[in-house]
Amino acid sequence: MPEYFTSIGTLLEGSMLQSGALWALRTIPGFPPIIQTVHILGIAVVMATVVMLDLRILGLAVRSQKISEMTQRLMPWLWWALASNFVSGAFFLFGRPTRYFNNPIFGWKLSFLLPAILLTLLFHLLSRTEIDYWELSTKRLWTARGIALLSLGLWLMVAMAGRWIAYVEYIYFPA
Amino acid sequence: MEFLRSPKWIDVENWPLSWEIGGTAWFPFLESIHVIAAAMVVGSILMVDLRLLGLAATRYPITTLSNELVPWSWGAFVIATITGLGMFITRAASHVVNPAFQWKIVLLVLAGANMAYFHFRVYKHVAQWDTAVATPTQLKLIGSMSLFLWAGVMLAGRWVGHII
Repeated sequence: MPEYFTSIGTLLEGSMLQSGALWALRTIPGFPPIIQTVHILGIAVVMATVVMLDLRILGLAVRSQKISEMTQRLMPWLWWALASNFVSGAFFLFGRPTRYFNNPIFGWKLSFLLPAILLTLLFHLLSRTEIDYWELSTKRLWTARGIALLSLGLWLMVAMAGRWIAYVEYIYFPA
Repeated sequence: MEFLRSPKWIDVENWPLSWEIGGTAWFPFLESIHVIAAAMVVGSILMVDLRLLGLAATRYPITTLSNELVPWSWGAFVIATITGLGMFITRAASHVVNPAFQWKIVLLVLAGANMAYFHFRVYKHVAQWDTAVATPTQLKLIGSMSLFLWAGVMLAGRWVGHII
């Protein structure tokens, strides 16, 4: 793990953010599983928005819907779900910051998440420049397909890595 | 509920497959696939529910959305069931007496009943409200029931791991 990364964990350790998060996690009855469920519901919205859009672009799902129309309609749901997931995730991140910032799988998760968000944002912004942006030429449609394939892989890896944070020893310390 | 205490559940835990999954990276692998599949089940159902509530995708007929999305719900449900069973057998005896697991099964059955009621009873009259933006109260009730029940399945499912 690079030092700049692990030092973020050290910085947060003992901060007000940590004590606040730990207070909520320890005091409110059922808070950890409830917040985790909110986090997974956010992932369900990721599936229903960007993953479904990617599957549509690849010709695998909801073929009656148009790519540009879907993008405009679904992206706001995605951005709100991501905002919600940053908040729900932050409770655990701030609660045990050194656990996460020393965890290589958490590093992987962010390495998938950042390009996934940027790629989706780029796709969204481009589709707003022109009506039917992605459907106007064959070249653009193939670009959209390339983006969709990459985006699908990235978002699924984000969800996958998230669950593996708790199982880091299976990858880094094989039996 | 005597069968929940049956020693047969211990036998399940001792199947060679249960040991293989429980003692290797198979467990977290199945679990991560389970989360992705479950998110797809709930995500695809959520899209139909929001349409039933008249809150999203109102430009599409309910039949179109249902026909295009429900196969994804079922496909993901099959994957979630297989991966779920794979995890279940590693701790079968503990799971069957785990209140969170019991709630999860009850909520799953209720969610299934809600869905069956919609498809076998209400759906016959689809022509009356297929393209309606302001959907009838009955559809709104079914849609919100579905949202609450599936969120409950997730909550109970997540809680299983906090009790085991």
